[in-house]
Amino acid sequence: MAILSEPITGVEEVKNYIDGEWTDSKGESRDVVNPVNCQVIGTVPVSTRDELDSAVQAAQEAFWEWRTTPPVTRARYLFRLKELLEENFEMLSRVQTQEHGKTIDESRGETRRGIENVEVACGVATLMMGEYLEDIAFGIDEYLVRSPLGVYGIIGPFNFPFMIPLWSAPYAVATGNTVVVKPSSEVPFSQMRLMELVEEAGFPPGVWNVVNGGREVVSGMLDHPGIEGITFVGSTPTAKLICEGCGKTGKRFIAQGGAKNFMVIMPDCDVGSTITAMLTSFFGNSGQRCLSGANLVMVGEDDDFYNMFMDRLVEATSSIIVGYGLDESVQMGPIRDKEKKENILGYIESGIQDGASLRLDGRKPNIKGDYPETCFLNPSIFENVNPNMKIARDEIFGPVMSVLRAKNLDEAIEMSNSSNFGNGNAIFTTSGKNAREFRYRIVSGNVGINVGIVAPMAFFPFSGMKDSFYGIVHTQGKEAIRFFTESKVVIERWF
Amino acid sequence: MKLKTTSEVISLVKNLEELSSKYYQDLIDRYSQEDELFSSFIKENTKNATHIQRTYYSVISDALEGCFAFDLDASNYDLDLELAQDASYDEALEKALQIEETINKFYDQAEEQSRSVMADVPRAFKMVSKKKNKRIACIRDMVNKRQ
Repeated sequence: MAILSEPITGVEEVKNYIDGEWTDSKGESRDVVNPVNCQVIGTVPVSTRDELDSAVQAAQEAFWEWRTTPPVTRARYLFRLKELLEENFEMLSRVQTQEHGKTIDESRGETRRGIENVEVACGVATLMMGEYLEDIAFGIDEYLVRSPLGVYGIIGPFNFPFMIPLWSAPYAVATGNTVVVKPSSEVPFSQMRLMELVEEAGFPPGVWNVVNGGREVVSGMLDHPGIEGITFVGSTPTAKLICEGCGKTGKRFIAQGGAKNFMVIMPDCDVGSTITAMLTSFFGNSGQRCLSGANLVMVGEDDDFYNMFMDRLVEATSSIIVGYGLDESVQMGPIRDKEKKENILGYIESGIQDGASLRLDGRKPNIKGDYPETCFLNPSIFENVNPNMKIARDEIFGPVMSVLRAKNLDEAIEMSNSSNFGNGNAIFTTSGKNAREFRYRIVSGNVGINVGIVAPMAFFPFSGMKDSFYGIVHTQGKEAIRFFTESKVVIERWF
Repeated sequence: MKLKTTSEVISLVKNLEELSSKYYQDLIDRYSQEDELFSSFIKENTKNATHIQRTYYSVISDALEGCFAFDLDASNYDLDLELAQDASYDEALEKALQIEETINKFYDQAEEQSRSVMADVPRAFKMVSKKKNKRIACIRDMVNKRQ
């Protein structure tokens, strides 16, 4: 099977996009590395606070004219962007694979989900409508309008370089705000390619800006008086900092954090479909998802069912093809970088030390193609895990499955709810009663019933509870419209 | 070789339809019989591949089992397009029948295995399979009339 062509050739310089111009940064730069072969494919600026300030200033200056542009006109820019995204679908997908490592199916899926958010935001004219009531008193009317607020900061993670900023940016600009996006420095090309299309779509200068960088840009966003609000997706510790920082400066925020998701397997499940779903849930995107399965909870005391299920699951997992995602036959890519791989190896070691049984050892990767092992792992499966072990409690963010047992559904639900996280938990069952019980009692923002990756569509909010989410409203859909606007209630009387 | 990912299967769709088109073009060039019919087959092949690709691209989601959906043996769909220099038209039609039956077997099996994935994709496979069944009936009819 031939490898699909790489869209980034040579070493490309990533630039900031500020006020409609591609700008060279005055800060240092760092390498962007393809984790498959450890080749440098680009350089990305570590922008300074001054550069962030320029972007915010440009966004502020663009705000009033953009805000007074009719929503239906603003939507037309987004419709044009959507066309351009479809025309460049394959290129955008291959860029994600080359800089992140995910498989081409995963990248195409990410591209599609990102575009869906642009589609939903195109409906802003309806979504932003307010309310009106005549004669609240004789001759006096009252109404509510939704107004944009100004400049928003959008901070993207490394695991979905194209899609996740689109959970926010299209809604922000559709509603009349302007934005400054900070992509992850590990994977900046997806946003750069997106911005080339934003530019081609003709968005006025200053409406949609990108500043690449690290902590200085993030803390700059938190401090900046010109930024009204921030959306963030990443780890829980950083989500907490965002939440605290925004609290101090009165900014509104959406801060999506980490997860430890429980996949509860009932003995009445459809075994074949469930096993396929578990492969995607635990090992898709190499386990680097806030919706990835982490703990597999086998319910019931039937050892025959347990052994049959586990034998089939281990067999299916063992045959997962690991390699370069531009090879269409590859099912799992590498870990994003060496440091993250080392972190995962540390957890595997702790599982062994704590007494769990490493049923499938993925530490020595078996890679399709001639690539260094540097960032690669194969899937690993632990059995005999108890809920107090580190591997059962902490977010590992890698292709490691911990298998626990619960006597009954009650125990499985309590086990899941004892986690500090509440992001994407699921049950696999053919019983409506079990499903309802689980759905009703589980403390989780996103709930799956026979679905292993509970990723809400763009017209639903991406929910989250406990330490998986800080804030009140969420990204995507109508809640994003609420986040990016404030209600202005008007009481009107004429003499 | 096992086909496990949706992207591989979609690539195979394109490949099979292109090979089939190549065969019908060869028949047109060699025999000058049923040119219009075979040209319509070639046109339909292109439409089939485009339809399935478009469906895949419009519903592929990283959240569903795109990388793990299939377990197909690619060797089951190898097409033998070789036609001897002196092959008769009857032999050519028999071969066309074999080609279509092989391709249709792929669509049936792909549809079966993709049911737990993205609903639009198995529907697309099923739709193309229906067209292929009609085509098989048409070619069989041609063969029978000549006997």
